[in-house]
Amino acid sequence: MLKDRSLGEPDWLSECRRDAMVNFEELGFPTQHDEDWKYTNLTAVSTKEHVIAEVPNQKLAIDDINSVGFEEVDAHQVIFLNGRLIPELSCLEESSLEVGNLLNGQNNHLVLEHFAKQTDTVGNSLAALNTAFFGDGIFIHVPDRVIEKKPIHLVFVTIAEQVDQFTHPRTLLIAGQDSQATVIESFVGMGEEPYWTNTVTEIVAAENARIQHYKLQQEHVKAHHTGFLFVDQARNSNVTSHSLSFGGRLVRSDAHVRLGGEGCECTLNGLYAVMGDQHVDHHTTIEHAQPHCKSNQLYRGVLDGRSKGVFNGKIIVRQDAQQTDAVQSNKNLLLSRKAEINTKPQLEIDANDVRCTHGATIGQIDEEAVFYLRSRGIQSEEARSLLTYAFVADILENLQVDGWHEPLEEMLFDWVQQAQVE
Amino acid sequence: MLEVRNLSVRADGKDILNGINLSIHRGEVHAIMGPNGSGKSTLAQVLAGREGYEITDGEVAYEGENLFDLDPEERAQAGIFLAFQYPVEIPGVSNLYFLRAALNAIRKTKGQDPMDAIDFLELAKKKMANLEMDSTMIERSVNAGFSGGEKKRNEIFQMSILEPKLAILDETDSGLDIDALKLVSHGVNKLRDPDRAMVVVTHYQRLLNYIVPDFVHVLAGGHIVKSGDKNLALELEEKGYGWIEEAEPTK
Ligand SMILES: Nc1ncnc2c1ncn2[C@@H]1O[C@H](COP(=O)(O)OP(=O)(O)OP(=O)(O)O)[C@@H](O)[C@H]1O
Ligand SMILES: [Mg+2]
Repeated sequence: MLKDRSLGEPDWLSECRRDAMVNFEELGFPTQHDEDWKYTNLTAVSTKEHVIAEVPNQKLAIDDINSVGFEEVDAHQVIFLNGRLIPELSCLEESSLEVGNLLNGQNNHLVLEHFAKQTDTVGNSLAALNTAFFGDGIFIHVPDRVIEKKPIHLVFVTIAEQVDQFTHPRTLLIAGQDSQATVIESFVGMGEEPYWTNTVTEIVAAENARIQHYKLQQEHVKAHHTGFLFVDQARNSNVTSHSLSFGGRLVRSDAHVRLGGEGCECTLNGLYAVMGDQHVDHHTTIEHAQPHCKSNQLYRGVLDGRSKGVFNGKIIVRQDAQQTDAVQSNKNLLLSRKAEINTKPQLEIDANDVRCTHGATIGQIDEEAVFYLRSRGIQSEEARSLLTYAFVADILENLQVDGWHEPLEEMLFDWVQQAQVE
Repeated sequence: MLEVRNLSVRADGKDILNGINLSIHRGEVHAIMGPNGSGKSTLAQVLAGREGYEITDGEVAYEGENLFDLDPEERAQAGIFLAFQYPVEIPGVSNLYFLRAALNAIRKTKGQDPMDAIDFLELAKKKMANLEMDSTMIERSVNAGFSGGEKKRNEIFQMSILEPKLAILDETDSGLDIDALKLVSHGVNKLRDPDRAMVVVTHYQRLLNYIVPDFVHVLAGGHIVKSGDKNLALELEEKGYGWIEEAEPTK
């Protein structure tokens, strides 16, 4: 199905690609027989003959980019279109970061050292597929002690002019000792045809680095999106990743975090709002490998129509990881009787001095609260949207990107209104 | 202002109110007392428009209109206010947003312009100060994490902002210490007005020392079994409900 991409590429890369392809062929597409894919049926993806996306005929102007907050957030912007970097629309000059195209990774020892190291170990066939087929990928290095205040906004745009094209966005973020940076990855889709985005992000956080990562998923409603985030944290580092998932027909978003040094802190937050036939699946794995680490997970979902949601949060505490503090919570609001959610915590604990808490709730709108609001004069529909909005907007409190709050609030507000009229 | 005639109410197949008669005029304060489970809150909630109750008999007229033709929000807009026995917690919705939305919904039906955020905040702070409420409470989510007493005060605060025509206070005194009770009573008394009526549901005569009622009714087994003036409350305090429960419903 796939033609070889590695022709003419440097050795290190074609080697990576070859290994990844072998890996993929061995593993194959995940099926619902795999425990981790029990509720997410990928046949809509795996049975199609996908072709690597071509550069579209349609020109992309900066004003066409419609990811929420793109305009409002002051950021270093890097724009990709159908898997290709668009230098004219990107600007990175004044930053103190080292940024480059992964395809030229041979020039950088950090790329050679870290690229695909995390994806290799977990037996993830789709991540391997990404390694085999990514086009332009981005490499960001935050040097030691550099504090970059301005977020880096990577926007991956798909314009689907042909049917069943796929792209494999790829990001490698290396944060040096005591460095700080914020990275936003936005995925947006235009065009009429179904397409598939299969993305991989690798983050390596050195000692005492502080990284904020945001993934905003607003693919086209006919799109399939599979995304894999890998985080490797060294001592005292602090990584936060938010997954904001609104678009796509079939969406899978995974996060694998390894807390590999003492005193690490990791926060994974998620918000999904889906309706119609949408399907959104979040799987997280946090591995506490060392003592005194903290992890925090807060996922909220609101589901309308016949949409389906999945949340699976795995916490692994290795034998040495004493004094682990791991908290996980997943709350869901079902707005329609046909919407569905499968939520499951999974704990594998081999240490004895740990604090792990988890909780999952599935609920409808609180009718008591609706009556309370109505009894004060607020219209029934307004009461319902206010309560729905309050449920999801909670997550926005944790976002720390200037200028993003308001457009996201507006977008959620519109979402709630739309869910209601449906 | 409010005419309740032979009101009978059922929920989950159980008859809770069995022919209530009550006539409330402008400027009056009515106290309703009665043992636990006698139907006081049910009456209050039915008047506010809560769903899940079946009206099996009788009628209620509010300002000459059939009350049951109105949705809960329409009743609020028409001036009915219920201070809940158990105020609901609403995480994520700030008191400020909620109460301004409520006030503006009510102002709209009166043909008044909406109040802007700045004016509203000023009004709210003034009213909160009267009730000695911490002004940071306005930013907090509605009742979320409030103590029992704070929730009750918040109800009265809302009432003082919304300035209803008919206020029904369901056990607003429960859970208040004596200082808070005085403050809340003071807040209620400030709203006493020849144009406004109040129904005060309570178990304790103590409250009625502060909010002196014009009428006292005793509800038992879904009937009003006795009505009188404020002395009835004193008598009840002395003799308990047993003395009255066997009595015939008043017509
Ligand atoms: N929705 C309902 N379904 C079934 N039973 C109900 C419902 N609401 C109230 N009841 C019952 O009706 C009776 C009256 O309840 P209500 O809450 O009105 O009493 P109350 O007089 O307010 O009591 P208290 O003094 O304890 O507040 C109780 O036995 C209660 O359990
Ligand atoms: Mg009661």
